[in-house]
Amino acid sequence: MMEIFFPDSLDELWAIMSANPGGAVMAGGTDLLVRIRKTGRKPPALFCLERIDELKQIRENEKVIFIGAYVTHQRLLENLTVQKRLRALWDAVSVLGSPPVRHSGTIGGNLCTASPAGDTLPPLYVFGAEVDIRSKSNKRSVSVAEFITGPGRTSLHSGEIVTRVSIPLPAPGTISRYYKAGKRKAMAITVASMAVQAKKDENGIIELIKLAWGSAGATVVTLPEAEEFLRGHTLSEERLRQAGKLVSAGVTPIDDIRGSAAYRRMVAGNLLLRLAHEN
Amino acid sequence: MKINFLLNGKETEIEIEPDRRVIDLLREECGLTGSKECCGAGECGACTILVDGESRLSCLMLAAQLEGREVITIEGLAKDGCFHVVQQAFVDYGAVQCGFCTPGMILAAVDLLRRNPTPSREQIREGISGNICRCTGYQKIVDAVYFASLALQGVN
Amino acid sequence: MLREPLTVGMNAPRADAFTKVTGKEQYAADYYPPNLLWCGVKRPSYAHALIRSIDISRAKEMPGVAAVLTHKDISGSNRLGILEKDQPVLAEDTVRHYGDSIALVLAESRYTLQQALELISVEYEPLPAVFDPEAAMLEDAPVLHPGRKHAFLETEAGVAWLEDDGALVIVASTQTPFRDRTEISHALGIPSCRIRVIAPYLGGGFGGKDGITVQAFLALAAQHSGGRPVKMWYSREESFLAGTKRHPAILKYSLGCDQEGILHALDCRIVMDTGAYASLGCEVLALAMEHAGGPYRIPHASIEGIAVYTNNPVAGAFRGFGAPQAHAAIEQVIDELARIAGFDPLEFRLKNAVSRGDTTPSGVTLTQSTGILACLETARDSAAWRERERWESLAPPFKKRGTGIAAINHGIGYGPVIPDNANAKIELTGEGRLIIYAGVSDMGQGNAATYLQIAGDILSQTLDNMELVLPDTAQTLPSGSSSASRTTFTFGNALIGAAQALRKRILERASLLFTYQFFEHVRAEDLGLVPGHVRHIPTGREIHLSFVSTTMDQSERTAANSYTCPVNRQKPPTGGSLRIHGYPHRVYSFGVNLVRLEADILTGEVTVCDFIAFTDAGRIINPELFDQQVHGGIAQGLGYTLFEDFLVSEGRILTGDFGAYILPTALDIPDIQSIAIPLQEEDGPYGMKGVGEITINGAFPAVANALARVCKTRISSGPLTAEKVLAAISRNEVGKNR
Repeated sequence: MMEIFFPDSLDELWAIMSANPGGAVMAGGTDLLVRIRKTGRKPPALFCLERIDELKQIRENEKVIFIGAYVTHQRLLENLTVQKRLRALWDAVSVLGSPPVRHSGTIGGNLCTASPAGDTLPPLYVFGAEVDIRSKSNKRSVSVAEFITGPGRTSLHSGEIVTRVSIPLPAPGTISRYYKAGKRKAMAITVASMAVQAKKDENGIIELIKLAWGSAGATVVTLPEAEEFLRGHTLSEERLRQAGKLVSAGVTPIDDIRGSAAYRRMVAGNLLLRLAHEN
Repeated sequence: MKINFLLNGKETEIEIEPDRRVIDLLREECGLTGSKECCGAGECGACTILVDGESRLSCLMLAAQLEGREVITIEGLAKDGCFHVVQQAFVDYGAVQCGFCTPGMILAAVDLLRRNPTPSREQIREGISGNICRCTGYQKIVDAVYFASLALQGVN
Repeated sequence: MLREPLTVGMNAPRADAFTKVTGKEQYAADYYPPNLLWCGVKRPSYAHALIRSIDISRAKEMPGVAAVLTHKDISGSNRLGILEKDQPVLAEDTVRHYGDSIALVLAESRYTLQQALELISVEYEPLPAVFDPEAAMLEDAPVLHPGRKHAFLETEAGVAWLEDDGALVIVASTQTPFRDRTEISHALGIPSCRIRVIAPYLGGGFGGKDGITVQAFLALAAQHSGGRPVKMWYSREESFLAGTKRHPAILKYSLGCDQEGILHALDCRIVMDTGAYASLGCEVLALAMEHAGGPYRIPHASIEGIAVYTNNPVAGAFRGFGAPQAHAAIEQVIDELARIAGFDPLEFRLKNAVSRGDTTPSGVTLTQSTGILACLETARDSAAWRERERWESLAPPFKKRGTGIAAINHGIGYGPVIPDNANAKIELTGEGRLIIYAGVSDMGQGNAATYLQIAGDILSQTLDNMELVLPDTAQTLPSGSSSASRTTFTFGNALIGAAQALRKRILERASLLFTYQFFEHVRAEDLGLVPGHVRHIPTGREIHLSFVSTTMDQSERTAANSYTCPVNRQKPPTGGSLRIHGYPHRVYSFGVNLVRLEADILTGEVTVCDFIAFTDAGRIINPELFDQQVHGGIAQGLGYTLFEDFLVSEGRILTGDFGAYILPTALDIPDIQSIAIPLQEEDGPYGMKGVGEITINGAFPAVANALARVCKTRISSGPLTAEKVLAAISRNEVGKNR
């Protein structure tokens, strides 16, 4: 039997965690409980974060939005700033799992699962999100790219948890999108996805562009050469097609039952073409 | 451990292992077999219940998580012997075939209509997209939810 | 609506909907008898191996374990099988696929059960295994159909117990309660009269509960449970592992026509992988062969069929029963031939489609209603077909649109040898209510509600004055399986006779009662039934049915009727050995499916925009239930067309749960337009034909034909996934037109 704890505060959490070594942190359970069922391996204790108010806050100033680790996907969907200024994240959450999964799953959980197919990750990359980490005695922040170290692996140390995600708000006039290819239109694990943040000048020339691909490598893939190739140009179909070739060559996906590496490569490149018809 | 929660409007106290799944608590300890288990992994929605009004998957929740919460299962939806509008619409518009997805589907629809009282057909499809039905092709379910939304708005 | 007498031809509320929307309906999975023991099965670690030894001692000693059973505990033949008895309940010396069964454990809790199963150690001697049906080595590119899983939402479930007198009761999710009794009796050596099988409403079946799933384990467990009830309920993963699948098939076709577009010759070969045991493999193959040439006149046809044993998961009945595989091939080949020969695909079909009196490529002369021409003509005149080129030309950026059709048929019932028989029983209770004893399972299709509607129509009663007894070998009469598009066709015919007999009896008795009241002779012809009453029409006087009932004894108040479907007595010159497996049929339903879809040329993802089903399944008893079958069959068809892929490697299932086996969601299925072409069928009750399976046959070829227009090439194996579509589009972009 697993012991289950519901600390009301971080201080209480630290005490429980140190008294119950080997326990696992649960922030929604939509991955963790499935994994426990599949493997049959139960940790001795679960530390549920759902009653720690501090982790459920969304705060923002003019420059940054701070999203608590225990903010559910549903709450992100309903948040006006996310809708208006972080469209790629909103897009991603709107195609993540299904409504009941979004009612349970959290942004912190999605980060810590660190799946290459995790839908919130590519948007967090292109927005340059920072992950705030705390333990009983320490506080630190790392970029999302530093946080994710491999499939299912993060740079969290024992005794640490993610407390919030800080996302710099893009300048007005910036567009962002998330495009996903899956095996069906809902409850789909991403086969290939792309997040983009871009800003054009008045002539349609790209001033700033950030791109990140999901399910295209061991972690989220970024390709500075593709960004460089597009910067300073308009997003013509031809230019995007050529950039897509760089992308197909640059990503490093795997074969699995959901799709071949070749397919993922092709789609990762093709998704860029969606930008030809975005305003 | 003892868990106290509001189950279908009744204060309920249950002695149970804290890591039992909510679906097992409901079916095996409370005798509420209206919540169905079909995949055990959050992929079908048949075990959907409402927790504090929000649709949740009872196969991906542990008993201890219910402490202090308000739970509504399909058995608790009808009030004073009268069907909920969504239940009535499922009967009237032919949305029920084998019926094994029906309880979860109805509760998903109730949550959808709470959030969005005037959904389009596409929004209804999105709202029930976590609930697999193998019999109906979804069309009559979408009809039922759509007409339930009209009934809730007082349009006849 | 409940106050109105039920009427054939009109919508009526489904009696089962009321209890299903409240969660009160008790399915087999919902039975938890007090003091129950959970049962589970030890599965093998090899696809093919000799069993050297089974050590159950550690499991047996574990606290909370009530019994561990092996084949040594079975006193019967230990062989299950519907026609071919080749499947052991518990393996003796050999395991033949990963879903085989080695030992049965009875435990206090599911948790203990899992642990005990792990404590059973089996020593194997692996044997060479066969995973490819021999013809998989054919050099030509054939149409390949992978297996598919029924994925009914209620996984295999049931409970069992022994009554005080030792008789065995099984409550199970089964399409075949009466046949199960016989199978269990044979395998376990329990006299059939000592077994009672009860089949509540099923949470879906689709063929996957046609035959024994958990029933034999439950029967065996109940005999060793120390008098306690036993329960078994497969997890989704176990359902995938141990349940049957649709037959994977390899289909190779050659088809020829003359310059006028008249079909002349068909040569085809169908190889099916039936897995480790026969199940209904021969019957599925026979139906595939019967439908191999589709609803066309092709005077010269050679149809070869082979069902192969392998060490793959067992294949068996699944809605469509071989016909979907055949139609997936012939309807694509027809389209290709039309294109190559320069004909419009719909006109080409119209030129060659069968009429009543014609002979199909499999040698069946059609003596019954034949609506394929009417379906094709209606499809031709539809706006979706007429305006298809314009619609296709309006595709948004990075999308390509295509329109496709398929013409399909489906044989109804068991065929010429196995009697397609049902026995209906109806009772007038002392309170004046009607009880309909339904001997055929309702797996969700609503046949039980239809039985109420038929009886209500004949006896002019309302839904709330009627009750239903679901299949129970102790109460209802043997009526065959819920399968083969026969549940309303056959049982409905039986029920009409029973209800009419009871009606006649009620009216005759009532005429006597009115005669006593009026002191004048009242003729039965002057009486009519109205809800709850018999009415003397000239005077409007009524007497309550309960009053009529009190003057009847039990034998008078109950009417039973046996009905056996007429069969096709033709003896085609070849294929005679297939007769035992169900070939040929007499009655066929027909249909045309029209699909409009959009493929995303960046990802290959396909969106089905419109789906129109033109269906001749005879006259319609309940339009709403008819449409339910149309919608549901097509949704399943679209599922296996676009998403569902039962991947097996070396006998091991790679898509063994709902995370990996992709079922369509509400966002993946469009609204479907169901257009009935309701020809009168003289064999069917009220002129109807079965609609359960004709609906699943057309989705694959219709979509494949639409995609062929999009991709300018064909994808030779299902499902037509985004990946294959994108590859096909890109191949074409690179190589340009064919």
